[in-house]
This record gives sequence, structure tokens and C-alpha cells, in this order.
Amino acid sequence: MRRGSIVQLVVLGVLFGAGAAAVALLIPWLPDPASEQADRIDFVFWFVTAICIAIFALVAAVIVYAVFNFRARPDDDEDGPPVHGNTGLEIVWTAVPAALVTAIAIVSAVVLAKNEQLPSAPSASAARSAQKSTVNGLCKSKGNDPLKPLVVCVTAQQFAWLFKYPDYGNATSSTLRLPIHTTVQLQLQALDVIHSFWVPQFGQKQDAVPGLLTKLVITPKRLGTFPVICTELCGLGHALMRSEAIVMDENKFVSWTKSQQGGATGATGGGGVAPQAGKALFISNGCDGCHTFKPAGAEGTVGPDLDKLADFARQAGQPLEPFIRESIVNPDAYVEPGYQKGVMPGTFASLPQAQLEALVKYLEGSK
Amino acid sequence: MSGAVIGFHADEAQAEHPPPAAPPHGFHRLLAPGWLRAAWFVPLFFGIGAGLVVLIRWLEGWHPIWNGSVITTVELTTVPLGFLAGIGGFDYWVRYATGAPTQAEDHSGHGARSWRDYFRINTDHKVIGIQYLVTTIVFFVIAGLLAMFMRAELARPGMQFVDNQTFNGLFSVHAALMIFLFVIPAFAGIGNYVIPLMIGAPDMAFPRLNALSFWLLPIAGIMMVSSFLVPGGAFAAGWTGYAPLSVHQPLGTVFFNMGVQWAGASSIMTALNFLVTIITMRAPGMTFWRMPLLVWANFTTSLLVVIATPFIAGSQFFVMFDRVMHTHFFDFTAGGYPLGYQHIFWFYSHPAVYIMMLPGFGIASEVISVMARKPIFGYRLMALSLMAILVLGFSVWAHHMFVAGMAPWLRVPMMVTSLVIAVPTGIKVFSWLATLWEGRIHFETPMLFALGFVSMFVIGGLSGIYLAAVPIDIHTSDTYFVVAHIHYVLFGGSLFTIFAGIYFWFPKMTGRMYNEALGKLHFWLTFVGFNLTFFPMHYLGIQGMPRRVADYAPRFADLNLFISIASFGLGASTVVFLYNMITSWRFGAKAPANPWRSLTLEWQVSSPPPVFNFDEVPQVVGNPYEYGVPGARHGVFNGDRVTEGEEVHA
Repeated sequence: MRRGSIVQLVVLGVLFGAGAAAVALLIPWLPDPASEQADRIDFVFWFVTAICIAIFALVAAVIVYAVFNFRARPDDDEDGPPVHGNTGLEIVWTAVPAALVTAIAIVSAVVLAKNEQLPSAPSASAARSAQKSTVNGLCKSKGNDPLKPLVVCVTAQQFAWLFKYPDYGNATSSTLRLPIHTTVQLQLQALDVIHSFWVPQFGQKQDAVPGLLTKLVITPKRLGTFPVICTELCGLGHALMRSEAIVMDENKFVSWTKSQQGGATGATGGGGVAPQAGKALFISNGCDGCHTFKPAGAEGTVGPDLDKLADFARQAGQPLEPFIRESIVNPDAYVEPGYQKGVMPGTFASLPQAQLEALVKYLEGSK
Repeated sequence: MSGAVIGFHADEAQAEHPPPAAPPHGFHRLLAPGWLRAAWFVPLFFGIGAGLVVLIRWLEGWHPIWNGSVITTVELTTVPLGFLAGIGGFDYWVRYATGAPTQAEDHSGHGARSWRDYFRINTDHKVIGIQYLVTTIVFFVIAGLLAMFMRAELARPGMQFVDNQTFNGLFSVHAALMIFLFVIPAFAGIGNYVIPLMIGAPDMAFPRLNALSFWLLPIAGIMMVSSFLVPGGAFAAGWTGYAPLSVHQPLGTVFFNMGVQWAGASSIMTALNFLVTIITMRAPGMTFWRMPLLVWANFTTSLLVVIATPFIAGSQFFVMFDRVMHTHFFDFTAGGYPLGYQHIFWFYSHPAVYIMMLPGFGIASEVISVMARKPIFGYRLMALSLMAILVLGFSVWAHHMFVAGMAPWLRVPMMVTSLVIAVPTGIKVFSWLATLWEGRIHFETPMLFALGFVSMFVIGGLSGIYLAAVPIDIHTSDTYFVVAHIHYVLFGGSLFTIFAGIYFWFPKMTGRMYNEALGKLHFWLTFVGFNLTFFPMHYLGIQGMPRRVADYAPRFADLNLFISIASFGLGASTVVFLYNMITSWRFGAKAPANPWRSLTLEWQVSSPPPVFNFDEVPQVVGNPYEYGVPGARHGVFNGDRVTEGEEVHA
């Protein structure tokens, strides 16, 4: 190879490398991380990116160099030199990529272990067992053990999220609220089909699988409100299966959990349900995730606005009370124009009778 | 070691090649294999299917006795059988099985004398290859139009043109058609045409099986497309059809379950045919180490197909049984295991990625070596790396399941095997680059697509490294980053090589040259449109846009509009391709036998080749890529002359 061609090739390689690096650095590719796990994921991302830019620059430089320097004239019937191979070169381009992917594998494995580490489980093997999903497991509170992480029970169903805090008197919410700088273990369940929990700014994602209890570790490090997105196709309303994750101060978080638990505990006790439990039921079943309803302070926009229930009943040609009951138990019986069948989950048909009646009374009475 | 040649009677058959028998008259036309018989066999078998259902339900006392969805499910088996029996797909075997005298092969099913011969059971591998390619391009256009609908809906956030269920159907059918009715069978079509010629064989080993495996394809395709017409709409659980969602979808899902069976059976039959043909029918002197790399690629691909495809067949049957027979494979309330579906599904569908890529590697090797006028660099390592990908390909399936909730210990081993696959793949890329080095490169359209493939596949391969690294995959899984990656691999990889292959062998297949200017225009429109469409999707995915959604956050609106506009341009580039193919096939300049000055055997016969490929058995004396070696030959013919065969093309 001539010296001039080596210089040309190196210049091309540097140009392509610089171009790719500019694309990588000037575009804000990654969401602004809001958890310690996302920071570590970003590190792996940049580690892989550096290697990829080098490989891309090499390949692009050789192709472009070859295209411009080895172009045959139209009348050129000559053949190239009969080079069949070069053992040394072939060993190099087997060994170097092997070394690079080994490095990527090691970095990834270390970060994976760290990202699943819980405060009480300093060793990697303990972290793995903490991550292990259990068949037919139940979401358990951490109890009084101060070393254990805060547990949030996540229930996914078509097409809503429900978050329950067993460590805070089973406080329940359709939005996820987390105290800052506290390691949280989400324990995910699905009631119908597979869903997947993702907050881009947290970097962590985990499927919720029917019949399995899966786990995910997050340590929020930045205050703010972030989207919760379902990323596993779960049916009609998949694109609408959104919620919010709100990272707050420890104190605000504790007082918020108090405001969320009062009615919910009352609602689950015994057969008779107090009428004031209606609001708690409305929230604990995740209705506020999709519907607007002023008396409950709900502002969801996925489903119809429940402040207009009386109008809807009139349009459906039914008395208000049976209309509400039917719309909960069999949501597709009447669908408000502008909305689609099959989006509201059918799972509310299995609500205990007393709870259903309380909910119907609450929705009817608050008109 | 020389390959045994089975049933090679080319000289004899050529001399005695009979004209097609006189068409049957009157009543016999109804009984002779063909479209007329299919026209009454289809309703007959429909009746048999419906009758069976009604009879069994009546005997068991199940009400209602006439149940539309049950009958539809059964008809998806019986109606295609009726069609295949009608056009004559089973005639020979039915005679054999019933003890009737079988008809000796008179080669009347070979060759195409008019366009009608492409619309019947034809046992000529060259006719079947063209049947495959034209059919797959039809489904490519349909699937592409579905993508255009999707991009129209995605041009703005919110819902504009379709509802959610229809949108879910659009991307599900788009993917299923592109995978099962385009990429996999398009490679099978190119292989069907080229492989027997390349190894010096007169045809495939099992010509009747070959004909049957083609006719299963339109059945699978029509089944998937027609699912839009059934109540509830097309199958809408994605082409991955994850249980338990797919179990509870509308009736259209059964059309996917069964469509996959027909397409899968087709690929298994073709793969067996390729394996037996390559192992037993190589010309004298064609040792394994003298086979062109496309033959190597089809050999490894066929092994993948034969081993892996039964797994997707199983996974779809499980879903259908859960739905139809109320089994509980994936019903967790009855002890079923939803993740079991994903393990079985990906045990096929990851190797399927290589089924969709290895033949493309083969095509790229042929085109790059011939058009750079140099021997392929590191021939043996190129062949061995195919085998390495074959073996490793079966050990990486769970990298699709890093966030699925499977056993956590499985993730690191699967990450390591997934990353290691980059090594044999890298060997191939570097060897292509080294083949270019100091070559005399001719930039005809096939070469443009081959080089486009190498550069786009490198980007797809690198984004694959990101996805193999578990922490990054946890963040990007099920987002548009994955959509971008899969299109860089399957569009930038498979589709570019399919285009390269079609342009490269177009003169051989049709006997005419394509329009070079239009070919180049097609390449540049595709190359630019492709990158503008799919590169921004990486960004969308990392930033937080999940895949398979009709509606998305408003902050992604501008970029999605840009992608939609670019994708319409990309779609329009296909019009240039179709125009070029159709007009060149009809009016193109006559092609010489060997326009690319290639050494491999298929170029040593006329364009298009004689009915039985070689008028005399070629003797293979050297390697296939000895460009630049003075006096080197790959195959020689008796008396060292290239004979002109009879013109068979219309």
C-alpha cells in the first residue's frame, strides 16, 4: 500500500469518526436521567457508542476510499489482483472484535448487577434473587426492616396502572409517587395480558406478566413528573395506557400517602361499605387514571368525562342508576360517541357486590 | 469428492422433449388438474369442512350447530387443501398412495412457453423461481402500502384515519407479510432459480415438492390479507402474537395462526429440497469447498429453516388450541405459563432473522466479487462464518426477553452469545471490504445495492450491539429504537440484497437487460429515503416513544411528520423499480449469456438457460471466484464450448 493512500484513508477515517461523534454529541439522544440506574445505563450507552463510532468510521472510510480509488473505467476489462486472503489480517479482524464485545459484555454485566442491587443485598447473588420473578407470588411489604427497600405493588390491567404502598397502610393511587433518593422495589402483577412498565427518565423497564410477580429497582435522584408508559402491546388501548411518575420530597411523600389511605382501608373491610368509601373505591380501582370526575379530583382524559354521566344516560335512553352499573360491569354495552369499544377493562365485572353498589351510589349521588 | 448426479438425462430429455399434450376436451377438462378443477374442488372441500363441523357438533349436541367462527377455523385447512388438490398439487402422490398406475415423468411440466405456464403446477425450478419472485413482490407491495397507511396515521399525534384495532392490524399484517410472504420466500425464489444452475444440476431434487411448496405461498398470503375482512378485523397482536393477548383477540388471529402454518410448511419443504439438491446433485468436481458462497448460504439457511420452523408452527398451534379447544397452555389461572409462548416463539424467530439474512450474505458475496473483479477475500472463513452464525443463532433467542420476567440468570449468558455473533458477522463485513480493496469496481445497479447493503447492515449490526447489552436493552426494548434496528437489518440488509439479486440475475432469468439508469435512480431514491425514514427512529425510541402505538406524545410530532413524509418518498421509489422490471422484461435489450463476465456456472449457459439447464454435464475444475488469475476456469464443458440452448422464454 502506498503511503499516500494510507494518509488518505486515515483522513477519511478521522472525518467519518468526527462526523459520527458530532451526531452522537450534538443531538441530545438520552432523556435527562432521573434515577441512579439511568446514570449507569447512560455510561454503558456511551461506552458502546465510542466503540461503534470507531468501527463505523473504519468501515465507512474503507468503502468511500474504495469507491473513489478503485472505480473501473467503463471500457476497463481488466481484473483486480488475485488476492485470496491474508491469514494475519483475518486473525486480527476476528480477535479485535472478540475483545471489544468481551469488554462490552463485562461492562454490561457489572452495570446490570449494580442496577438490581437493593440496600440490604450488597452481593450480586442476593441482588439476583431479589430480582427473580416468582410464580403466583404476592406483593409483600418490607415490614419493619429499615434495611429493606420501599415496596410499591404495581397492578397492570387493560388499560390502566394501579400503584399500592403496603408499607404505608395500603395507600393506593393511579399515579406513581416516589420519595427522592430512596431505593424502591416495584413488584409488578398483571391481571389480564402482558404489560410493560417504563419510565424513560428512570431507564428501567419490566414486563408485568399474568401469574408472575416481577420486580424492578429504581432509585430516583431528581424531582419532577415523568411519563409512565406501557411498552408491551396489550390490546386496543395500548397507546393510551399512560400514567405519571412523580418524584417528591420525603416529607411531602409521607403526607401524600396519608391522604391516599383513609378511605381505601375502610373500603376493603367487611361486607357493608360506608357510602363515603365511594371516593376511595374510585381511586383504588384506578378510575381516575382515565376519567375526569370533579368530586374525586380526577382529571383523566382517556375515557368519557364522568361529570356528564346524566347526559350520557339520557343519550343511551336509560335511567341513571342502571346505566352506571351496566357501564362498569359491561362497558361495551353502550359506548359514548367519540370513544372506542374494548378500551375500558372488563375486569370490574368481578368487583364485590357491596363495592360495586357503593361505587354506583357515589357516581350517581355526586351529580 | 464429486457430487453424485441423480437422474441427469439432459441430452436424452432435450432430444425427446415432448410438446405439451393436447389439452383435454369437454368433460375431461373438469377432471384434469388446473384452475377449472380447482374452481369446483374449492366449494367441494368447503362443503366437506362445514359438513364435518356440523356433523360433529350435531353428534355431540353442541349448540348452535352452525357456528361461523368454528367453521371458518376448519375451512382455513380444508379450502386450501381443495385448491391445491384442484390445481393438481397432489395428483402424483394420490395415484401412488391409492395404488393407481403413476404417470411416468414426461417432463411436460417443465419450462414455460406462454404466460399461462406460470399459472399452473410447474415442476421447472426456473419457472418456480420466477413464480416465487413475482408473488413475493406482489405481497411486498401490499405490505408496503399497509406501512404507508400506518405512516399516514402517525404523521400527527392523536387519531386521524383509523381506529386503534385497525392500526394494530396494520402493523401486524405489515410485519407478517414482509417476513413470511416477502423476505423469506423471495430468497427462496432467487435460490430456486439460481442454486441448481450454480451447482450444475438440471433441476431441484424434488420438482413436484418444489411446485407444491410454491403454491402454499399465495394461500398463506391471501389468508393473512383477507383477515381484514372478517368480523373484528385483522390479527392485531403484532406479528409476534404474544399470548395471552393473542388468545383473546377477534377471529382474525386464527388467520395468522394458520397462515403461518402454510407459509412455514412451504419454507420447510423448500429447505429440504435445497439440502438434498446441494448435497446430492452437484456437478462432477463441485466439492463443498468449490461451491459459490450463495450455495453455502442457502445450505446453512436451509438447515436453520428445517430445525427452527417447527417451533413457530408449534407456538401458533398452542395459541389456536387455547382459543379453539380451550386448552390452557398460556392461561395462568389454570396453571398455564405465558412466558412459555415467548421462549418457543423466539426459538424460531431469532434464527428466522438469520434465515432472512444469510442468503443476502450469499448474494452480496457473488455480486461484490464479480463486480470488483477480484476473488472473494478469505473464501473458507466466509463459509465457516456462515456455519458459526448457524450454530450461534440457536443460542441467543432469549435476548428478545431481557425485560420479559424470565429467569434472571439467563440474561448474561444470552447477552454473551448475542455479542459473540458480531464476530463472524464482522468477519464477513471486513472480508467484503478487503474484496473491494484494489479491485476494479464496476458500479452497476446490483453493485450499488450490494454496497448499500454493506454500509446499512453495519449500522444495523452496531445498533444490534446496543440491544445485546442488557442495560441498554432494558431501556430501549419495545421502543422505536427496536423499530429502527429491525428495519436497518431487514430493509437495509435483506431487502437491499434481494434488490441486488434481482437486478444481478434479471438478465439470466428473463433473457433481457434491465434499464441501468432507472436501476440507479431506484437505488439512490431507496438509499436516501430509507435513511431519512428509519434513522430518526433511533432517537424517538431512546427518548421515550414506544412501538406499536397509533397515538404518541405531542413532543414527538415534528419528527414523526418528517418520518412520514420521508417514508412516502421511500414508497414511491418502489414505483421506479416496478416500472423498470415490467418494461424491461417486455421490451428490454436482449441479454448476452454472461453480461457480468462471471465465472460461476449459471452464466456459462444461455440467457435464459435451456429447459434442462445444461445440454451437457459441466465439469468443475476450480474455485468460483478466480478473477485475475490467468487462465482460471470454474467449470468446463465437453470440448470447452458454451452451447446455446433453445429459447424457451415467451
